[in-house]
Formats: sequence, structure tokens, C-alpha cells
Amino acid sequence: MSDKTEVNLTGVKQSKGVWLVKVPKYLSHQWDKATEKGEVGTLTIGKKQGKTEVHFSLNEELTALGALGEKDASLQVPRDHPFTMNTVGGQTMAVFSHSEAGEISLEGMVVHRAECRPVVNDNYMKLKKLQIQETTKPQRLSQQLEKAITTVFKPVANHDFNVEYEKKKKSDGKMVRAERQVVLDMLFSAFEKHQYYNIKDLVDITKQPVTYLKEIMREIGTYNSKGAHKSTWELKPEYRHYQSAEEEEEMQTA
Amino acid sequence: MTSLGGSSSSTTEYTVRVPKNTSKKYNIMAFNSGDRVNCSTWTQARMERDMSARRIYGEEETQEGAAGSEFGKKQREEARRKKFGIVTREFKVEDQPWILKVNGKAGKRFKGQKKGGVTENASYYIFTQCPDGAFEAFPVNGWYNFTPLAKHRTLTAEEAEEEWGRRNKVVNHFSIMLQRRFREQERGEDEDDEGEKSGKKKKKKGGRGGDLRIHDLEDDLEMSSDDSDSSMGEDGESKTKAKKDTGKGKGKKKKKKSNEHEALEDSDDGDYEGLEVDYMSDESSSSDEEPEKGKSTKGGEEHPKGIDEASESEEESEEEKQNEEEAKEEEEEEEGKKTPVQVEKKKKKDSSGESESSDDSDIEGETASALFMKKRTPPKRGGGRGSAGSSRTGSRPGTPSIDSASTSNTLRAAASKLEQAKSLFPTGKRQTQGPSTDSPAAKRLKMEPSSQSPVPSGKTTPQPPSGKSTPSSSDVQLTEEAVRRYLIRKPMTTKDLLKKFQTKRTGLSSEQTVNVLAQILKRLNPERKNVNDKMHFYLTE
Repeated sequence: MSDKTEVNLTGVKQSKGVWLVKVPKYLSHQWDKATEKGEVGTLTIGKKQGKTEVHFSLNEELTALGALGEKDASLQVPRDHPFTMNTVGGQTMAVFSHSEAGEISLEGMVVHRAECRPVVNDNYMKLKKLQIQETTKPQRLSQQLEKAITTVFKPVANHDFNVEYEKKKKSDGKMVRAERQVVLDMLFSAFEKHQYYNIKDLVDITKQPVTYLKEIMREIGTYNSKGAHKSTWELKPEYRHYQSAEEEEEMQTA
Repeated sequence: MTSLGGSSSSTTEYTVRVPKNTSKKYNIMAFNSGDRVNCSTWTQARMERDMSARRIYGEEETQEGAAGSEFGKKQREEARRKKFGIVTREFKVEDQPWILKVNGKAGKRFKGQKKGGVTENASYYIFTQCPDGAFEAFPVNGWYNFTPLAKHRTLTAEEAEEEWGRRNKVVNHFSIMLQRRFREQERGEDEDDEGEKSGKKKKKKGGRGGDLRIHDLEDDLEMSSDDSDSSMGEDGESKTKAKKDTGKGKGKKKKKKSNEHEALEDSDDGDYEGLEVDYMSDESSSSDEEPEKGKSTKGGEEHPKGIDEASESEEESEEEKQNEEEAKEEEEEEEGKKTPVQVEKKKKKDSSGESESSDDSDIEGETASALFMKKRTPPKRGGGRGSAGSSRTGSRPGTPSIDSASTSNTLRAAASKLEQAKSLFPTGKRQTQGPSTDSPAAKRLKMEPSSQSPVPSGKTTPQPPSGKSTPSSSDVQLTEEAVRRYLIRKPMTTKDLLKKFQTKRTGLSSEQTVNVLAQILKRLNPERKNVNDKMHFYLTE
């Protein structure tokens, strides 16, 4: 929002006129396959009995459909594409480009609109059929299996779960009660980070047995049974010294 | 390029290239034909993405670790969203609209919104002709429709609905935006007193035409509350005098505001004390509510007319000056009257007309005291209220001079009446009107019909010169005389005395005030007595 990019207006100043051409998808696909040089075809502009005719002819090597090279010799993208020219019709259209560096420049004004149409022949029809078949295929498929799958469900109890359970049993189920002061320190540092804690989370953090922890919490904190932070513990007012959010922000930005 | 010659056709061939390595992404900038945009007239243009939607998608982050945060809240929220299948759309920079500013600050602004579905089924290419004659085709990345943005201010939805409701009544549509601008101004100037200000402002604005008259009116005729209200109402409806009145309204507003401030400051507890006492003891007070009323109605008619001619020009100039330097120039304009005070008073009266008039009608009521507060702001200024004012009770129950006063058609007369009125209600605050009234009276002679001057002076005599109604020295000065007057009038504690000489009015710091007061007391050596366990000073002379 702060820096506005200056638009390079040279294209408009020079009144560069461009054409806006609507090109079929398959043709643009073919064009993407072009060589480094980028030549895709030839454009023939002719005047026939006073009318301007524009004709695009695709290069030979690009007519092959499919990336695999010589897929079907039969199925080829049509080569001849006459352009239908339309005027812009009062609407002002300009072309601007923006680069990755964030530079914006106005390339020119649209003076003509054109549509690239293929010549309709059997070849084209086949191509179209193929296209339609592809698009109508459902994305998801229900398939019937012949044999039941027996590889996935094996043990009765979840093996992973079991392992974890055993491990937990090994480490004292009832966690060791640490020194009261140590636990208090842990709690205070935890409450410095957040104001409201679930008892489960506290157990997780402090690794203390629940009853012991609850005892300590009853001493230094209160339990919210209602309100936005339901069933959470928070420190008693005299123990906390939270700054307001804005102050914290200020501190951070400063 | 090959040229094929043909009888009826001539064709030229061009190679078409689709460059591969373009780092630039091409987009279409489409304008509406009705906007008549001509890109060649652009001298300079700036464009950037409009990121205002980011905060909606960003979902303001509450401070981490600050008070009020819960442990694991984020994860829980995410889990909850997943459970309910709420899918939040990502904020994609690519899809954000563009803001285009043409020709700098004074030029046009456009917003370009991306048109969807352009590249789904067909691709657009831009064919440009290169110098070598070949065509280059660039794929179009996106299509943006640019629409011009309105630079003029528009009404918000609520305001629009309001105005829609009044569409049959409002004839002048220009006033709609004017009022909105007023409102904004007010809000900007004065956020604290917004409530009352807006209320008053509306009144004032509405009664602009009426107020102009009423202001002076209400000097004499506080009874004209009804008139003023009704006229206000009418004026509220017809907003024809938009521009002109705007200026006046503005000036008045400012006046009013300052006055209001002053008035509010003045109201102290201590002030109410003396009020009733004086009132009761003041003989004039018992009289003339009727004459007052009579006068008001009479004056009501006369004044608007008279004042309109005389005052409109005056007021205009007054207001302009006020805008520059409160009251100073009016002072000059009024030729040396104690104008700051007067003008302020006048203005205050003008602006707070309605409220005052309604209050004035309740002379016995407590509202009167509030009124006095308001009216009294000028005393802060400087005193020269002049007893000319004191004699003019204006609408105050008062003195026969009212009748004579009512005949005067000048603003000054009205103002001096105001002062009279004020002098009638002595309270601690009313310090101005004592002996100093004489001098302003003399000055006023210049301005007013001579008939008035004797009257004022005559008036002053019946009134207890100093102590009672008006402590002589202005409130502004902390002088021995002032203290003496207070103490003669009634026993006061030091605290009370200090209250009388507020630092804001005297211009001294609190320490200074204390020191000076102590000195004065030493000089005066008042007698002491204990009332309610508090040491009170008093003088007997």
C-alpha cells in the first residue's frame, strides 16, 4: 500500500496498437511445445475484394498432437486457422504487464479483436470427440475388487497404540511429585505465555499428577467454569501482571 | 515476408512467434466505453494492488501470550473448523484488485477488478508487430475491468437511508452533503462534547435564519423561547440558505462551543450559594415577569427585523472576525466597548439562544443559575461588562429599563441588556459588574441611544454597588478589592476564596494564587469566626 509503482507509459505514448486474439486451448497447447525460437506459424494478411483477411497457419512440426511425439499420425491439430476480425467497438482496452520485479508498464492499446477459428473438417471433429471424452470422464471412480484385501487389518489392538500404552505404563503412570516450588515456577512461567490453561495441558506441561497439580492451582489460581474461557484455570489477580495487548504490541514494535 | 501478387488480392505473410522466456505477465486493462478513457492523455500513472481485503482474510491475530490468550487455542480453532468443514478461502495476492491513479493527486482514480473465467476455456493472446515485421504473441494472464472511483464524498448506507426517508420533504439537495460536512467538522473539532454540540448544532443550523434574529431577541425577551423554537423548527426544514448560513452557522458554532466551554467551566458549587440570596434580596427580581414577557414579545417582532438589517451585516463581519480572533476585532468594530466581553456575551447569547431563552423563562428556577453560568463566560474576559449592562436586565425580572431597552434596535443595545441581566444575578462569578459598569456605561453612551445611558446609570444606583450584585474587579484579577467585596458580602473560608479566583480565569498558577491571596488577606486582616468547624473570614464595612 505504501509504494505505488510508477507505470511505464511508453507503450501508450507511442500508440502501439495490438491485437487481442482469442485462441483455442488446443492451439495454445501446441504453441507451448514450440522450440526455443518460438516460431509457431505464419500469419497471412491479405486483401480480397476489399476485405481484409487474416489467416494463421500452424507450423508443420507443431501439428502433432500429444507430447509423445508421433502419437497418431491420423490425429492432428488442424493447421489452418482463419482469424475473425472485430473492432474494439468503443471499449477502451489497454494492455499492461507486470514483471516479477514489480514493474508495471503499459504495453499498448488494443485496436482489433480477433478470434482464431480452425477450419472445420473431419480431422477436427475427431479431435473434438477426443476432447469431449476426456472431459466427461468422472474424476472419481468406483471400482469393484475381486479379492478382499487382507494386508491392512492385522492385530486386534492397535499396535502403535499398544506400544505407547506400554511405554506410558513404564514411565510412572502417577508422575512424580516434584518440589512444590519447582512446580510453582513451572506454572508461573507457563502462565506468562498464556492466561488460560486447561488442566490437561497443565499436566502435560508440568508432568505432575493431577491431584497434586490441582492442589497447587487451587492455591494460586482460579477455575473458570463459565464464560468465554470455560473450564480453564487462570492465575489469581494478585499473581498476574499482564500488560494490555496494546502495550505489548507497542513494546514489540518499539 | 513473401508477397503474392494477385489480381484482386494482395497478401503478406508474417511469422508468428510466441516468445518463451517472458518474465513479464501480460494483462488486459479494460475500461467502460461510457467513461471515455483516453490513455494517451495520461501524463503519469501509478498502480498498486488493493490489499484491503487482507485483514478480512487474515483474521486478526490476537496477541500471543498476552492476557486473554488460551493455551492451544489456535489448534483447537483449527480442529473445530475442520470438523465443521469450514473452508476459509486463501488470500491470493494475484487476485486482488488494482488501484490505478492517473495524473497524480488531482487526477482520476480507477479500481481494476479481476474478471474470472477468462483463461478457462480459451486463451487470449496479444499480437504485437515487431520492427522486423514478425508478430509476437503473448498470452494474457488476467483480465481486469477498471472502473472510475468517485472522488466526491458520498453518503454512507445509514445516511442514505435517512435521507431517503426525507426525500419528499427536502427540497434542496445540496444541503444534504453540507450538513454531512458540518457533522464531520464538528466531530473533528470537538470530540468530547459531541453530544451536546451536535444537539446544539442542529438547533443552530436549523434555526440559522431564525437564530440570527433570535439571538438578539433573546437578550431582551427570554420569553421568546417559544418563538425561537418554532422558528428553529421551520428553519430546520427549509434549508435554503445553505451556503450563507453555513458560514454563519459555523461561526456561531465556534462561538457557541467556546462559550459552552467557558460556561461549563464556570459552574462551580460555590456559585449556587449566592444565587438565591441575591435573588431574593434583589428587589427588582420580584418584578416584571410580565413586563418582561411583554417586552419579549414586542421585542421579538421588532428585533428580528431591526436586527436583521443591522445585525446581519454585523454578524457576518462578526463571525468572520470571530473566526480569526475571538472578539478582538469585534471590539474594534464596536468602537471600544468592552466588546470582548460583550461580544462574547452576545454571541453566546446568540448561539445558545434557545437554551437560554427557555432557561430565562424560569428565572426562579435553578436553570437560571446555569444560565448565568453561560452568560457569565464573558466576565472571565475582562470585565468591562459595565453596569450599563447591569441596569439592563434584559429579560431579567428587572428594571423598568427593560422597556427602554426594548426599544433599541441595535445589537449593542441588546448586548448591553445582556450585561444588565447578568449583573442582576450576582454570584461569586459575577464579578464584573460593579464599579466597572460605570466606565463601560460611559463608553456605551457612544453607541447607544442616549436614553439608555442615563437609565443604566440610574439603574446601577439602586443596586448594591459592589458586594451584592457585582464584585467590582473582574473575575480575572485577583485583587484586594475583589477579596474585600467577597468578604464583606459573606464570610468565606480560604477554600471558597480560592474557588472564586480560579486559575483558569485569573491566569495565575495555583501557587501564585495562593500566595497572592495570602498577601491580600494579610493586608485586609479580616475578622474570623468559626462556622461548622471551619474558619471563615469576613469583613464589616
